[in-house]
Amino acid sequence: MTRKQRRLTMIGGSLAVLAVAAALVLNAMRDSIVFFSTPTMLAEKPVVAGKRFRLGGLVQPGSLVRGDNLAVTFQVADGSAALPVSFKGILPDLFREGQGVVAEGALDAAGVFKADTVLAKHDETYMPKEVADALKKQGHWKDDYGAKPAYDAKPAAATQGASQAKQGVSQ
Amino acid sequence: MTLWFVFALMTVAAIFAVLWPLSRGGRAQSEGSEAAVYKDQLSEIERDVANGLIGSSEAEAARVEISRRLLAARDSQHGPLMASNTGLRRSAAILALVGLPILAVAIYLPLGSPRLGDFPLAQRARAPDVAQPFDNLVAQVEAHLEKNPTDGRGWNVLAPVLSRLGRHDEAVRAYRNSITYSGDSPERRSNLGEALAAAAGGVVTAEAKVEFERAVALNADEVKARYYLGLAAEQDGRTGEAASIWRAMLAKAPPEAPWRPLVQAALARVGGAPAPALPNEAMAAAKDMNDTDRDEMIRGMVDRLATRLKQNGDDVEGWLRLVRAYMVMGDRDKAISALANARQAVANDAERLQRLNEGLKNLGLDG
Amino acid sequence: MIAESGHYALVLALALALIQSTVPILGARWRDPALMNVARATALAQLLFVAASFAALVALYIVSDFSVVNVYENSHSTKPLLYKITGVWGNHEGSMLLWVSILALFGGLVAAFGNNLPLSLRAYVLAVQGWVASAFYLFILITSNPFLRIASPPIEGRDLNPVLQDIGLAVHPPMLYLGYVGFSISFSFAVAALLEGRIDAAWARWVRPWTLVAWIFLTLGIAMGSYWAYYELGWGGWWFWDPVENASLMPWLAGTALLHSAVVMEKRNALKVWTILLSILTFSLSLLGTFLVRSGVLTSVHAFATDPTRGVFILLILCVFIGGSLSLYAWRASALKQGGLFAPISREGALVLNNLFLTAACATVFIGTLYPLALEVLTGDKISVGAPFFNLTFGPLFLPLMIAVPFGPLLAWKRGDLLGAAQRLTAAGIAALLAVAMLWAWTRGGNAFAPLAIGLAVFVIAGALTDLAERTGLFRVPFATATRRARGLPRATWGSAFAHAGVGVALIGIVCETTWNSEYIATMRSDDVAKIAGYELKLDGVTQRPGPNFREMQAQFTVSLDGRRLGEMTPSKRNFTARASSTTEAALLTRGASQLYISLGETTADGAIAVRIYHKPMVLLIWWGPMLMAFGGLLSVSDRRLRVGAPKPAKALRGLQAAE
Repeated sequence: MTRKQRRLTMIGGSLAVLAVAAALVLNAMRDSIVFFSTPTMLAEKPVVAGKRFRLGGLVQPGSLVRGDNLAVTFQVADGSAALPVSFKGILPDLFREGQGVVAEGALDAAGVFKADTVLAKHDETYMPKEVADALKKQGHWKDDYGAKPAYDAKPAAATQGASQAKQGVSQ
Repeated sequence: MTLWFVFALMTVAAIFAVLWPLSRGGRAQSEGSEAAVYKDQLSEIERDVANGLIGSSEAEAARVEISRRLLAARDSQHGPLMASNTGLRRSAAILALVGLPILAVAIYLPLGSPRLGDFPLAQRARAPDVAQPFDNLVAQVEAHLEKNPTDGRGWNVLAPVLSRLGRHDEAVRAYRNSITYSGDSPERRSNLGEALAAAAGGVVTAEAKVEFERAVALNADEVKARYYLGLAAEQDGRTGEAASIWRAMLAKAPPEAPWRPLVQAALARVGGAPAPALPNEAMAAAKDMNDTDRDEMIRGMVDRLATRLKQNGDDVEGWLRLVRAYMVMGDRDKAISALANARQAVANDAERLQRLNEGLKNLGLDG
Repeated sequence: MIAESGHYALVLALALALIQSTVPILGARWRDPALMNVARATALAQLLFVAASFAALVALYIVSDFSVVNVYENSHSTKPLLYKITGVWGNHEGSMLLWVSILALFGGLVAAFGNNLPLSLRAYVLAVQGWVASAFYLFILITSNPFLRIASPPIEGRDLNPVLQDIGLAVHPPMLYLGYVGFSISFSFAVAALLEGRIDAAWARWVRPWTLVAWIFLTLGIAMGSYWAYYELGWGGWWFWDPVENASLMPWLAGTALLHSAVVMEKRNALKVWTILLSILTFSLSLLGTFLVRSGVLTSVHAFATDPTRGVFILLILCVFIGGSLSLYAWRASALKQGGLFAPISREGALVLNNLFLTAACATVFIGTLYPLALEVLTGDKISVGAPFFNLTFGPLFLPLMIAVPFGPLLAWKRGDLLGAAQRLTAAGIAALLAVAMLWAWTRGGNAFAPLAIGLAVFVIAGALTDLAERTGLFRVPFATATRRARGLPRATWGSAFAHAGVGVALIGIVCETTWNSEYIATMRSDDVAKIAGYELKLDGVTQRPGPNFREMQAQFTVSLDGRRLGEMTPSKRNFTARASSTTEAALLTRGASQLYISLGETTADGAIAVRIYHKPMVLLIWWGPMLMAFGGLLSVSDRRLRVGAPKPAKALRGLQAAE
């Protein structure tokens, strides 16, 4: 092979790998990206039943009902709207009424959000960032949710490798 | 002064770090070069051949390639080191001598607080001005109350603290406000009386006596008020009346009442009954102690109380006393944890729990 | 006085870094040895001062000096001593101080043990270190100063976060930083080479030990963080594709690529331009990781926008260094001479393939991490890119890489013989097929993918062994000759064999854990028995007991297998009343490389307790793999060939060990 041919082979190989990587990324982007929504956003822009998304809001105080065999239902609210959520499994340590929560799952035909994962991922202000942002936008944010500015999140600061305040439950 | 000395020393060390290489720069330096690397690669090939790791023809090809690199490296060798470049060296030295200290001071002064000493916790706990940060807290509460003078709870918290700090006149005012804005209660009345008496150097004045009488009117069993009424009688010279008040108190008192020794001692003083010797001594001892020792003794008493409550958590009053003691000692975290323990201890007893919560409300710690 | 001395030492370190970043460059331009040697003295002095500054902060934490804002906000007098010390880097300001301390440490090591470098190269390298250091000193002093004071100090500190009081968490950030910051050395070497306009095979040999050291620490740091998340978070996950984790994975991928391309450059004087680019990219990704974690942009884009001082400052540093070095690269790279030629099928070709896949994988992680941020900034839409995305992109890219790994070391330089290599790998291939067949038979009807993946892992491990056997002539020559040859083998060869085997080991762990992980979630009462993967776990009872600053609910389980008692497990849940928070303390029972894992949920109204029990087969291999890789790296670092040209080899050896 001449020098030129070798170089062409190399460049061709590189481009092929890059093309494969790009194709993989685009394919994955289409299928595996999950959008975030809140009850209010849902009221404005409904999501079809069965499509997975992340639901964020505050756990409505008094709405938590524990059923048999680790089944729980609760309401997620963000001030103006609320949505019933059902879940089966162990709730994370930091799950509590009146606090922020993010649940991943899909709506069923009856309009109940079937969660398969409940995250109480948050920093020390006990507020998941998506929820905090959404609440702030709607003016429901109270400063006492966070004693410190949220950007100085201690958990993230303390752990480089793992987001330590993350607690998740999967069925 | 020492701080500036340390700064100066550090600055000198930093300047020295720059000047030192400049001063001995003329001497030849051991310097690595590419040639050394290639020579080593060549000897590595020899080793590999000797070990039979590579064949002789491959070794020959590699040797040729590395030798070519070696030659190239020799060709492109850096120019010779300059013996010296006095001008540049001099300016570098000046930069270090003048620029470095100026820069350091210019950055440090706006950021640092050179006049603040160290405040390690251990040292502060022993220091004579132990109350200094506590004073800050008090000042904060006072400032808050100046803006919100109708905050009864604030006055409730502030008043006993002022009493303990020996600012009795202000404590009197605080108790009065506390009664005005949080409502009347036998405890508040008797505390007010106590503050009045303390302000008068321990004499139960007529004004104080009125408050104690009101307290007793509200609650006939109000211990502090009755004790002080006895004291008033004693100070007025009516020892018989004093003795009968105290005797009545003792008769009604539960055997484990913490104030029992105090009343017994008082009773013995007016010749009413033989008192146990120890409390008297303890009281006397406490009087002679200096502030530090008294603090020590108070801490010891609080610790004993905490231990007792850990073993037997039914004593609501004891818990309240413990919480209050921690509050007064300025240890809010301990107070909160004591509170949590108290709740846990009496959780099964609705009546006690209620009493506890009321007491805590009075301490300004509910919730 | 401690606080102010520490503060002033930090200022002096900045002043020295500024001198270090200018004077030596002038010296190198004028070939004046004295001026060039200023780099060495200032780098050492800078290390001294920043170490003093860091020690001062540690001392302030130990004595609980709450007149220092940073101590007041992040410590508490009742913390155990160990966590007072580790609390120093458990917060933004302290961790940035640790960051620059490690930067100065690496600079100091180059200064102390870089005798084998040409004087001008060392001067340039240290000057570039000086630039990076100056930027971060300024960042700390202006936006994140840990030595700010309170005039009337409070009596007690604010932080007693129970989750942060953990030994794993305490050790792993310094490890990660040693990795992150260690790549600054290869960056400085790359920029120095561009400034000098000279780069050759020797450069690669000089830069390789530093890259290796950084890579070892980063490998260990990532593994440690993953294990910490596994046992502390209470649900047995060990990798979340969380942005914070990705921030450490990206430099690791780029760094791994750099290690391999530096080999090509050292041996064959080829891939020079690419290696320089990788050096720049690796450290840029480290800086990006620092930006992502430190600016708060991950916590909330909005919070970042409302209080952007820190974020913007780091972003500025990021732009200056990445932009600056890439421009310099674009300007000077074309001047670098082309190196040795090689055929596509050759050791070089295999390493290029490795680089291609590693960087492509790194790019997918990069996109997955930054795309949500970019989208939120641009459109306001919030999306989450989680494990499915990375499994679909990262996985397929790693697959061909794994297949190629055993071939690389068996191909000759310049022009390789693929068929020959394949022949020599026959044994490894047969081992892999056997593994697949056995697993297939054993798990009939199960997941078809898992046996194949494990077969691939076995192929990688057997391939690494084949390489060693080939080089020593094991089975071909008498055993005594083979052992003699084994002793004569360069340690770097052993190192790469170990590291490659480590990849296979980790892959086995990952596949086993994700495929055959069994899970049991239920509410249990006393004397209930849970059956999982053949084990029987009987709940003996639940006890409440008070701890120093928490109440603990502890459950006792008796574990037995086929009626034989294996031991007890006591998971617990701690409630910290003072902070109204709770932590889950999982219980682990290790059986070989597998583990049983129990964590507790909440108690129900009728006294039963929710438990989560996992059986995680071969899970420990996930972390043994990286340890094996790090060990391989260590062997390579200790290879005498990397210390070529050092006038005093023994001293240089100590230097490298000191860095470990």
